[in-house]
Amino acid sequence: MSGKISVELHGTRAVFAELSSTYPLKLLSPRVHRVALAVAYICSYGGGLVSGDRISLSVDVASGTTLVLLSQGSTKVFKFRPGQHASTGPSRLTTQCLDFAVAGSLFLLPDPVTCFRDASYNQIQTFRLASRDASLVALDWVTSGRKSRGEEWMFSRYYSVNEVIVEGKRVAKDVMLLEDASTLAEKLGPYSCYATLILYGPRVQGVIRSLKEEYGRISVFKATAPSELLWSLSEIGGGGVIVRVAGDTEKVRNWLGAALDSLEDVVATRAFA
Amino acid sequence: MDNRERDLLLLLSDSNLPTGSFVASSGLESFLAHGFATGTTPASEVITTFVRDSLSTYAPSALPFVADAHSVVSHLSSAGQDQTIARLEDLDDLYECMTLNHVARRASKAQGVALLSLYAKGFSRPPGVALISSSATDEEERLSKLVDNFKLMVRRGDSDGHLPVCWGTLCAALGLSLERTQHLHLYLHARSLLSAAVRLNSIGPYAAQQILHHAVSSLVDQSIQKSAHLRTGVLQESGWDETTDGPANTWPLGEILAARHDLQHSRIFNS
Repeated sequence: MSGKISVELHGTRAVFAELSSTYPLKLLSPRVHRVALAVAYICSYGGGLVSGDRISLSVDVASGTTLVLLSQGSTKVFKFRPGQHASTGPSRLTTQCLDFAVAGSLFLLPDPVTCFRDASYNQIQTFRLASRDASLVALDWVTSGRKSRGEEWMFSRYYSVNEVIVEGKRVAKDVMLLEDASTLAEKLGPYSCYATLILYGPRVQGVIRSLKEEYGRISVFKATAPSELLWSLSEIGGGGVIVRVAGDTEKVRNWLGAALDSLEDVVATRAFA
Repeated sequence: MDNRERDLLLLLSDSNLPTGSFVASSGLESFLAHGFATGTTPASEVITTFVRDSLSTYAPSALPFVADAHSVVSHLSSAGQDQTIARLEDLDDLYECMTLNHVARRASKAQGVALLSLYAKGFSRPPGVALISSSATDEEERLSKLVDNFKLMVRRGDSDGHLPVCWGTLCAALGLSLERTQHLHLYLHARSLLSAAVRLNSIGPYAAQQILHHAVSSLVDQSIQKSAHLRTGVLQESGWDETTDGPANTWPLGEILAARHDLQHSRIFNS
């Protein structure tokens, strides 16, 4: 099961030279009316992924173009497709591999991943930036599960890799593994949503500057209880930053929307509206 | 365990060794300042849980690098100086790319280079002591040259000299088995958290000793069991699968809190 997205510049328009996918992956592209901007939604049939699903998507973003990649609602990872019985797939694991070759700008801003009870999920994302002129906003976030059913950190495994390679040299490799449901809630509470945001390149220098200023103004005095939202910022090689945010999903969403509100291409897609 | 290994363990676990771990709290000071230890839970339980969670993320992040550095240095005589140094540099590079928290990175580098100095200054043979009969073997000479060269690279900024890489290097150079090397590394990590907890006045020295004696060994053993087999992938073992055999962080909250260390209005530790 795989897909391919390729964005090229034709005059002042960003066009999809390729936009193809096979079940259960589905790609949609709304019409947009901004110079050099292309937008695509990553969706899946049935509104989620199940054990055994293996999706690989390769994405090419040509110089001079901007691709905003979104998802249609959160990525839900089920152990089994609703209505199916337990003995269907040979593998319990759900895997999503995304490989990005970026010469222009990529803003990857999906909704969070929500792993349901007993689900097991691998997500491996590789961002290959062709030069220091390429720009990247990569958001990767996960929630504690289906709260409406009282599920909090009850999935069996969530494994996520985000690797950034610039001109062939690795500058960051973030690997996060959440497993062992017996301690997760205690380790990660009181927060129910964790986000990682990687920012790199000339297009996001303004965002980086204002986040650094805001971060530098924080002064932590001895608190009597954890605050509702926490975030941190660290530099990565080559002038980028990695930001981590913890809170409940709405607070994290609002924070992210505010952090990125100077990127007009992002605002135009109403990604955090 | 032979007598030599026994004596090495005693030397390396001496809390007076100048390794710089004294100024590191590995996020504990920030954790306490952010209000995670208030409420009705007794302090000793809060600290024990912190030690558990800290080990649960430090073990899978650091042990693969300890193991591979140990392996590289153990094969020095067949691989040669240049190749060994190059592999250590690769390991250092990868650890730098995977440690995406500037406070942890800073602490790791400071303690790493201290270990390399410790080897050169504290484990070389003292000159002119008549009681020491044999002189350095060829292997010892090669190892000390390797560590000197690596230290020089770190001092020049050509390599980062991260703690797990340097710990693996030091212990392999001293001839400590990988099993002991990994175990001692986690044990010292846990002990330095408890020592920080005492200096932060969160628990008293007797409580720290109780936790060390009754809780830490099983927590360290659990972490060893889960993470001792992990490798970095740098040495390209066949059959290595990064999703099951590679390094990973497992505590995003710990990452955020550790990275926020410098934001504290007042603080006594460096990390």
